[in-house]
Formats: sequence, C-alpha cells, structure tokens
Amino acid sequence: MNIHTYEKLWLGAAMVLIVFFIASVTYGAIGAGVAMVDDSEDTLDPDNLGEDDRFADPRVEQVGEDEYEVYVVARTFFFQPNPIEVPADSTVTFYVTSGDVIHSFSVVGTNANAMVIPGEVSTMTVEVGDPGEYGIVCNEYCGPGHHDMEGLLVVVPEDEFELEGDE
Amino acid sequence: MSSETRREIGHDEFDPVGTLALIGLYFALLVVLWTVTYFFEFLGGDLTVVGVLL
Repeated sequence: MNIHTYEKLWLGAAMVLIVFFIASVTYGAIGAGVAMVDDSEDTLDPDNLGEDDRFADPRVEQVGEDEYEVYVVARTFFFQPNPIEVPADSTVTFYVTSGDVIHSFSVVGTNANAMVIPGEVSTMTVEVGDPGEYGIVCNEYCGPGHHDMEGLLVVVPEDEFELEGDE
Repeated sequence: MSSETRREIGHDEFDPVGTLALIGLYFALLVVLWTVTYFFEFLGGDLTVVGVLL
C-alpha cells in the first residue's frame, strides 16, 4: 500500500494525540489524585434521619489535623447546615443525604458536584485552598422552590476558624 | 481545454499543503483546548475532588 507522506504525518500525529489524552487523564488520577464521587456508603432510612448519628445534627466535625468531615442534609428547599464553614488549606469530606426527594449538592464553579438521593449518602473528599466563598446549589429539579435552593460554603482563614460550640 | 494540456503527476508529487496546514491548525487547537480544559480548568480549580484510586 502506498501511503502519502502527509497522510503518514497526520495519522502519526493523531496517534500521539490519543496517547497524550490518555496520559493526561492517567496523570490526573495518579499524580494529582483526582477521584470520583464515592458510592460505597451504606444506605439509610431517609424518613428517620433524626435517628442517624451523622445526620441528626448536620454539622462540621474535625477528624484530624487539617481534616474535616461535613454532614449535610438536603431538603426542599434548603441545605443544612447553612452556611458551611471550613478552614482554608484543609481536606474536607462531605457526606450528603436527602430527607425527601432527589437533590444535588453542587459547589458552584468547582468539581465538587454530586447527586443527593434519599436513602443514599454521597461522599466526596475535596482539597480546600484559599479563603473565599462558594455558592452551593441544587441542580436536580426538586420542586417549585428548586430555584431558591441554595447554600453557602465559606472557607475562612485557618486562624479565624472555630467549630460550632467551641467558642 | 484541449487534452494536450493534461499533465500526469506521481503519487508523492501531489502536494496538498493547504490541507496539511488546515490539519496542523486543527491539531494545534485540539492540543491547546485540551490543555486548558484539563490542566487549568479541571485540575487547577479549587475544591478538587480527591480520594483513593480503587
């Protein structure tokens, strides 16, 4: 078969491009440690969140140095707790569940974005950087007040951070 | 248009530089846009979701 030089050139370039795509995703997963939202949590009874240790009192909890866990309950049409305050430069794991219908927990403009399904716990661990404020919205249509369903994630400077009840 | 002006060229004498330039341009565009979306927008943004690769 007689293949033109130019054709060899762009066939080869296309192969290199595919390798580059796969290599960058591999780098993202292994080098940068980007992961997917976890689905390994056990199910729970959405009608009795008050009896669940984690979700009876939606809160921010410190579990280690610079490591925090946030238990969030989404309901029509709000998030608890609101606002969520976490310190800068920390690792935060969100556990999000719903007490009624399907919602979502989307930190606007970031990769932290998951569906929230009654009976299931959406888990995502994120690296929090500099202080700032992020909006949280529900992006699954959940009822007539869906467009008003919003929360606030406040990243406060480390030395100004204190847990609720720690004053 | 007489048949006398017809000219035959060999396989590798055909030289579509325009096509080559266009493909090169698309290629460069793909590389730049992928780099921007993946490395700057996806990996560079705050609140990157991390975890153990299972």
